[in-house]
Amino acid sequence: MEKSSTEAVYTGHRHQASSQIPVKSPRPFFLNLLAIRLPVGAVASILHRGSGALLALFTPALVYGLMLSLRSAQDFQSLAEWVGSGFGKLVMLACVWALAHHFLAGLRHLGFDLGWGEDRRTSRMTAWLSMGLAVTITGLVALWSLA
Amino acid sequence: MRRAGGAHRGLDMWLIQRASAAYMALFIPLFSALAWRATPLDYIAWRGLFAPLPMKLGMLLFVTCLLVHGWIGLREILIDYVHALVLRLTSYFFFWTVYAACLVWTVDILWSVG
Repeated sequence: MEKSSTEAVYTGHRHQASSQIPVKSPRPFFLNLLAIRLPVGAVASILHRGSGALLALFTPALVYGLMLSLRSAQDFQSLAEWVGSGFGKLVMLACVWALAHHFLAGLRHLGFDLGWGEDRRTSRMTAWLSMGLAVTITGLVALWSLA
Repeated sequence: MRRAGGAHRGLDMWLIQRASAAYMALFIPLFSALAWRATPLDYIAWRGLFAPLPMKLGMLLFVTCLLVHGWIGLREILIDYVHALVLRLTSYFFFWTVYAACLVWTVDILWSVG
């Protein structure tokens, strides 16, 4: 019972929701967030959306940074100093993670569009891979920025 | 008829999202390689990177893709979570304004580099 209701929740995943045929029998309503065990693909998908939102909201700041970096030597210098500061490093690392995850998980989705890696085993593996690589890249950049 | 602020513009949005993603996925490594080649990146070297016209155009297309891709993504999130029509359309208007301004701003930034 427990297991089947978990699966019923997963069929609500957004990529499938639009093509869903109305179910005749009443489906179990099961939304205990602590009890739902999300498949790894769902976690990668949520993080893809979260990192995307972060990057989208950060874009105007990126344009502002581009302006500072190209406007004058003094502005270039002050931007470089800000990026090198504690808070600046933190913001940059958040962006590095968001970009790395969104990029890798995005490649995974482009693969799905081409019909590559759609089977259960491969898609689970690439979900883990995209999340793991993004964290690894962020960790390496963090180490490099401290060195 | 399509409802105002509705979600049923699937295929064109889907395609633009993929095309912009593909361009960015190619441009980011290319730009990183060019920037790497120009190290040490002081102000003069960084500015020099943006001097050639192909770089200005390539970067402008990148920022355009970034803004369009970001807009389609945000729109999808707003459709999922913001159901009050007034609030949703206000959000659309807000992001459209900010992103359109960013695009014009980017042209100004890039073409101010001699």
